[in-house]
Amino acid sequence: MPAPETGAMAARATGPAGADARIAKAHARLAGAGYGVSVPRAYGQAAPIVADALGTEQALALADAASRIAIRTRPRIAAQFLDLSVPMARRLAGPEPFGRWIALLVGVSKPAPDAVEPLLERMEMLHERLGLVALDAWVQSGLRLAAGDATRRRAYFTLDLAEAVRLLERHAGEDTFQSLEGELRATYRALWGHVPPIREALAQAKGHAALRASFGAGVIQLPSSYSGFRGRERLVYQAALAHIGAHMAYGGKRFEPGQLKPLQIAVVSLIEDARVETLALREMPGLKRLWLPFHDVSPDGMATTPSLFGRLARALIDPDFPLRHGWVRKGVEMFRAGQGQIDTPALSRHIGNILGNDLGQTRVQFNARDYVVQPVYRDDNLGLWELPPDPHQGQQHHHIDIATHDLRRSEETDRPQERKTERSERDTDIPPETVAPMPVASGVGRIVGQVPEYDHLAGIERPDWVTIKEYDPGPGDPLFWRKLEDRHGALLARIRALVRAAALGRHRRLKRQAEGERLDLDAAIEASIALRAQRTPDHRVYEGVSIPDRSIAVHLLLDISQSTGDPVGGGPNGAGDVTVLNMLRDATALLAHAMDRLGDPLAITAFASDGREDLRVVPVKRFEDALTPLTGMALSGLRAGYSTRIGAAIRHAGAALGQVACHRRLVLVVTDGAPSDIDVSDPAYLVMDARRAVQLLNAQGIDVFCIALGQTAGQRQGEIFSKRGFVQIDRLDALPEKLPALYLKMTR
Amino acid sequence: MTASSLLDAYLLDHEPKWHPTGDETALFSAAYDVRLPVMLKGPTGCGKTRFVEHMAWRLQRPLVTVSCHEDMTASDLVGRYLLGPEGTHWQDGPLTLAVRYGGICYLDEIVEARQDTTVIIHALTDDRRILPLEKKGELVRAHPDFQLVISYNPGYQSVLKDLKESTKQRFCALDFDYPAAQVEAGIVAAEAAIPQTSAETLVRIAEKSRNLRGQGLNEGASTRMLIHAGRLMAGGLSVSAACKLAMITPMTDDPEIRAALTAAVDACA
Repeated sequence: MPAPETGAMAARATGPAGADARIAKAHARLAGAGYGVSVPRAYGQAAPIVADALGTEQALALADAASRIAIRTRPRIAAQFLDLSVPMARRLAGPEPFGRWIALLVGVSKPAPDAVEPLLERMEMLHERLGLVALDAWVQSGLRLAAGDATRRRAYFTLDLAEAVRLLERHAGEDTFQSLEGELRATYRALWGHVPPIREALAQAKGHAALRASFGAGVIQLPSSYSGFRGRERLVYQAALAHIGAHMAYGGKRFEPGQLKPLQIAVVSLIEDARVETLALREMPGLKRLWLPFHDVSPDGMATTPSLFGRLARALIDPDFPLRHGWVRKGVEMFRAGQGQIDTPALSRHIGNILGNDLGQTRVQFNARDYVVQPVYRDDNLGLWELPPDPHQGQQHHHIDIATHDLRRSEETDRPQERKTERSERDTDIPPETVAPMPVASGVGRIVGQVPEYDHLAGIERPDWVTIKEYDPGPGDPLFWRKLEDRHGALLARIRALVRAAALGRHRRLKRQAEGERLDLDAAIEASIALRAQRTPDHRVYEGVSIPDRSIAVHLLLDISQSTGDPVGGGPNGAGDVTVLNMLRDATALLAHAMDRLGDPLAITAFASDGREDLRVVPVKRFEDALTPLTGMALSGLRAGYSTRIGAAIRHAGAALGQVACHRRLVLVVTDGAPSDIDVSDPAYLVMDARRAVQLLNAQGIDVFCIALGQTAGQRQGEIFSKRGFVQIDRLDALPEKLPALYLKMTR
Repeated sequence: MTASSLLDAYLLDHEPKWHPTGDETALFSAAYDVRLPVMLKGPTGCGKTRFVEHMAWRLQRPLVTVSCHEDMTASDLVGRYLLGPEGTHWQDGPLTLAVRYGGICYLDEIVEARQDTTVIIHALTDDRRILPLEKKGELVRAHPDFQLVISYNPGYQSVLKDLKESTKQRFCALDFDYPAAQVEAGIVAAEAAIPQTSAETLVRIAEKSRNLRGQGLNEGASTRMLIHAGRLMAGGLSVSAACKLAMITPMTDDPEIRAALTAAVDACA
């Protein structure tokens, strides 16, 4: 034992002194490296503190990192880094996280030196909101998003890019309008029985996010996020929607502003808020628990307008709130006296007029321009008033069409049943001019959704990374089916026979069953013999009929990237102008024909991509569409172009398939090459993403199968779809025959 | 075994409580007097089965209930040959039993059964009132007291699960729905033995959930669910705990709808 003990003693004795010496040496190295005076000075200040808090090694690592940052960016930024290391050492509280933080910055400084400074400037805020792991993910997302574009990168890290803020919220795990939308919609419907369109309020002209909810023209707009309510976002949104619901349920016609001053308008609105809340609380007393916590004004203090407004608002909902100010007391007394007419909005106008007048005479300051309704869940009251059109409030109504244009899920999966059956009702309760979708010209995509993408290097799934845009197919050939019949008449007849065989074999007689419609004579006789011979008979003496059991839905994904425009076979056999896409089209039509006869639900979507902002999908046939000449026109209208971002397309197809209630669900991908896209240089990236997309769908019980066309295909497909998940078809001219046959074989 | 003892087991020995919401008992009695088959339409848990039980008790008839399901065959209703030690013998099914000895046969959720199964009731439900036992080669003439009652939940509204027109048109039909709020609260209060005010809160919550019918929920909370929640409350659970246990969690797995329902419960409680 003595030897290690003395060793440890020695280390402890010489440790601090040795450490000091090493730090001093690092300091000297920085001083001699020609970074100017600021870097060694900052190190001299930071290193001892870091060493005290986290140990010598971290203080030494700091010198290395500072040196690299100074070389890659500027000495000034290295000094900034060193200054920041002191508060960060306190925050990170541990040598290991601190080491990772340093590694993160050094890691950024190499590919993106210009990102270091903005990152350092916002580091404390970012770390506060994200924590180290999510911070790393957010930074990596930024580097990938900018894809080498320095201006864009800078905009991301200075948070000037809307995308950066959105990703920040996502990585921070904060609830935003987007993440809560579906839930809020359902809650509103549950509470009030119907739901007006709910939209995310667009940023105002200056780029500031909307602060308060708003309603008017039958549309509810909610801020994209309520900052400052971390952890309580859901409650704020719920409270805001419940409040607007109360307005819509108990409010009357809009008030005419007439000769009212802005102050009076504000007070009338405040009383009206309290009036509708009182009525709502009669029916749903529990809403008080939702609303009251947001009334946090104190009964005392300076009698400024906002404070008085806050107190009156609170006093009207909270009977226990002390009434220390005469104006507030008067308001409460008038409100109580008016309980008899609480059903009429005129009460609000009456009380508000008087109170507003009183307050006006006390000459308190009221700045209508900066006035923000309190507490936070209440709306901006613009929906209460018949205000003259004001160019500064254009955001309230006039840009809504843009919002509906890109608000994906709300229009897509939003109550498909209702869209069919209650179309007329919807049309009447929503003013058409506010929510009419933008007319989409052919060739311009509608944004229909966003899907995540997997980054295999970072090991993270980036939410909402790829934007899916839907395009109408180009002009097609109305006679497509007839021409198909001409081209493949014999094949069609063969497919029909195959289908008949597949369909005929379905009702089978089941002999020797334990239960069934009738006795199976053979089995019954054998059992009788067994009984008489004193043996134990087989109890399975019944006969039944198998239930037709065909339940499969298929989403066919057609790759129509640029390469499918190439001629088949390259020319030597004289195929001439027959392209891969031509073959694909015929094969798809034949398959659709076979599936239609079998009664299996089928959707056909063609896809190509032009960067992550534009995954182009062309819906040729949706599950609910019947197979009509329109399908043929859409098929013949497909044009080859752009690249192949296969993973996102698979995710998109899987989402549509997830809605179909079938026993087996299959995404059938037909592609002619490896995944690629213009904004991705790493060939493995899209492969790994597609592989992950396939795995995720498999986990949901959706099969993904790939048909790889051509001899060069198939190399990557094995990686993506697994060895059993794809077939390779070399001879493209055989595709029309093979695809339906393959399908029948697969689903037998 | 005598004929009557076969059906005696199906006689109800105590009164199933029924809270009238209109003149449904009079209407049903009128249909029974002339032995017309009756169809009860209404969402799940609104009291269709309870009503039939109550009427069977009132009319002092045995009630043979069959819960239909999609694997049910005609043999499950009319009967089948079984293999015994002395060879085969015929076993009457529940429908045949009621037809022979004069009971009320109640086919619950008839649309769940396959359509080829339901056509066997056709000859029973017109003026012939006969049940041909094809496999046995017997024609059973219905007992004068026999009546057929079916229930049907129009909420399913799937093409596959609808009655054939020829089946529909043989029946008189009574529409059932969740009763008006006051009446429903009275029912919940009485059945669950809770104060009227608590029952009113539950009914308000149910109305909110019924707003989501077709918008994430196939059906809103039924009166039956409310009674379950009420009984849990009578046992000491809070409103929100009882609603979560008896309503929200059984009704949906969709997190958004669950959140909405929870918010509705919180708002009403």
